[in-house]
Amino acid sequence: MGTTRRRFIEQTAGLGALLGAGIPLLGACGSDEGSSSADPIRDGLSPEVGPLRVFNYADYVNPDTVASFELKYGVKVEITTFDSDAEAITKLANGSVDVDVFNSAAPNTLDRLIAGGLLQPLNKSYLANFANVLPSFTDPWYDKGSKFTVPYTVFSSGIGYRADRIDPALVEEMGWDILWDPTYKGVTSILDDYREGISLALLRAGVTDVNTTDVDLIKQAGDDLKQLTNSMNIKVNIEAYKDIPEGSTDLAQTWSGDLLAGAYSYLPEGTDPSVLGWWYPSDGVGVVGNDCMVVTASAKNPVLGHLYINHLLDTANAEENFSWNGYLPPIKGLDADYLIAQEYTPENLRGAVLTDEQMAKGLRYEPLPVDTDRLWEDTWSAFTAG
Amino acid sequence: MTAVVDDAPLTPLGATPSSDATSARTRARFWAGMAAPGTIWLIALYVVPAYAILAVAFGDIDPILRTAAPAWNPMAWDTSPMTNVLGRVFGGNLGHVFVRTGLYAFAALTGCCLIGYPVAYYVARVAHRSRGALLALLVLPFWISYLMRMLAWVNLLQTDGYVNRVLGWLQIGSGSRNWLDGDWPTVVIGLIYGYIPFFILPLYAALERLDARLIEASRDLGASALSTFLRITLPLSIPGLMAASVIIVLPMCGDYYTNTYLTGGSPRTEMVGNQIEFFLRGSSQPQTGASLVIVLMAFLMVAMAYYLVTIARSQREDARI
Repeated sequence: MGTTRRRFIEQTAGLGALLGAGIPLLGACGSDEGSSSADPIRDGLSPEVGPLRVFNYADYVNPDTVASFELKYGVKVEITTFDSDAEAITKLANGSVDVDVFNSAAPNTLDRLIAGGLLQPLNKSYLANFANVLPSFTDPWYDKGSKFTVPYTVFSSGIGYRADRIDPALVEEMGWDILWDPTYKGVTSILDDYREGISLALLRAGVTDVNTTDVDLIKQAGDDLKQLTNSMNIKVNIEAYKDIPEGSTDLAQTWSGDLLAGAYSYLPEGTDPSVLGWWYPSDGVGVVGNDCMVVTASAKNPVLGHLYINHLLDTANAEENFSWNGYLPPIKGLDADYLIAQEYTPENLRGAVLTDEQMAKGLRYEPLPVDTDRLWEDTWSAFTAG
Repeated sequence: MTAVVDDAPLTPLGATPSSDATSARTRARFWAGMAAPGTIWLIALYVVPAYAILAVAFGDIDPILRTAAPAWNPMAWDTSPMTNVLGRVFGGNLGHVFVRTGLYAFAALTGCCLIGYPVAYYVARVAHRSRGALLALLVLPFWISYLMRMLAWVNLLQTDGYVNRVLGWLQIGSGSRNWLDGDWPTVVIGLIYGYIPFFILPLYAALERLDARLIEASRDLGASALSTFLRITLPLSIPGLMAASVIIVLPMCGDYYTNTYLTGGSPRTEMVGNQIEFFLRGSSQPQTGASLVIVLMAFLMVAMAYYLVTIARSQREDARI
């Protein structure tokens, strides 16, 4: 997840007035902290007394699940939040946050976190519940052998819409093109995330390389996005989780987890979840992603950190967490059939619960070379500038 | 204490020159001490951050983490990111964002003048017994965070919100306007609402200090109320008007959350602050974000220079009178 729900609320602590802009910049200035711990912690250590400090997106972990961990180990958990991957890396790198567990590291940033010495290898002897993880995530492409990470959630990027206002057959027929259909001018949004936004335009154009370094393709994607500004009066935000259920947006590029969370948390009372719809490419060629849990190299409570991760890998705890944040943990047994039977997910949003096949076939964001990354960012900046 | 700081002669008749010098040094140390907290505050919260902006703007990025690697030594500064930003601002795809930001700030300032001046004038010159209560009401918005006030506007401006209900009741327009659809008037309304208390209070202070005898003299000499206002009150309140304008325009130009909240993130209302926020907090190009801060500061310094020149001119004219 590139950014989090309710991000805007968090942002107000940021730049503010112009002259204050230098203050967060001080935090952006790097230091040499975070030296790499080459070896994992030893086996059989006792948990520290805490408090355990967790770094996470806002509203991304169920408070009840955290509370049960606190009760079990008799410690306090302090959660510090961030708004984007870039912000998280900056704060970890310059030591402006002092945390034990990074709860939601994106796979395409792990190469930097590891090379920068900000993570420590995990000791699996503390992670008995790692056995619950789906086999497809026990040796992931981004961390062979799961040396540093365990998966937290999986999600896909698709289209959430109001099925009571837009014919699902039409969405199925048009696919990504429907986001460019002026019929829905003023009621459409896309994700405020440069990787997601440019990839959306690439996929619409039939380009499946969502990590492309091709300058012409990126520029064309930027031009296609710019069409949205006036022809669609597009909104660029991460508010679809509430805007679609509340009815102010009819159509949005969004994350599957946001729609699932919104289905029960933001639908007006008495509204049936069947008013919501989800579309993801039927051929499976869409973007899928996941977030990871890691222990930081500078963790003062590494044992407790491992136990916290183990706690979230417990099937019952993972289920409880999903019931609150809508983001699917890649844990055995937590599939669409089960989640619908438990009434966590409405039947009409079955497609928003990722399957093994979708995860295997889905496109993934990989780290971009520096120059390409800048080109993507500049293209996005030019689009959002209007 | 007053004996030390008073400008009146401090030394008794017949005091020696050396005791005069000691007294002067004591006064100098006293005022230096009094200025120390403010000086430290300015250095810590303005000079150092301002230099950090320069160091980041002309610095590099960490090759692994892609975070800012500031160049603290000016000899090591790399001007290419700034050159790139200037190219995008002057003739590139960011110039219109600066223009849009300036227009929004100007429109909001105009609105603040039209709404705020009469209010400040009334409180300062007309209201007497109710002045305290009115001042309390003016300060009231400060008790609620800016963020919460903007969120309140989101509710008010929704299609089924109270604004449309009132307009419908008054039979103005269709009563179903989507105010949050990415239109500039909504942003300007938000800016006016958010910043107008900061405009009224300094203006009130300036109007309240006006010498009433000048106004009385004008009326005694036959000037009408309107003429007295235009030829006496308004010119004398210009320094206060300028100060109030500067106080609100500077943060308006760096604002990024008013339009974000009130337009749902529409690119049509993107302001410079949004671009700064993206590059500083959401990208691997902190130099670009810092360079944008510097360019914006440069523009605002022009406005600030005009304000200072106007104030200096006003003071010279006061001195002549």
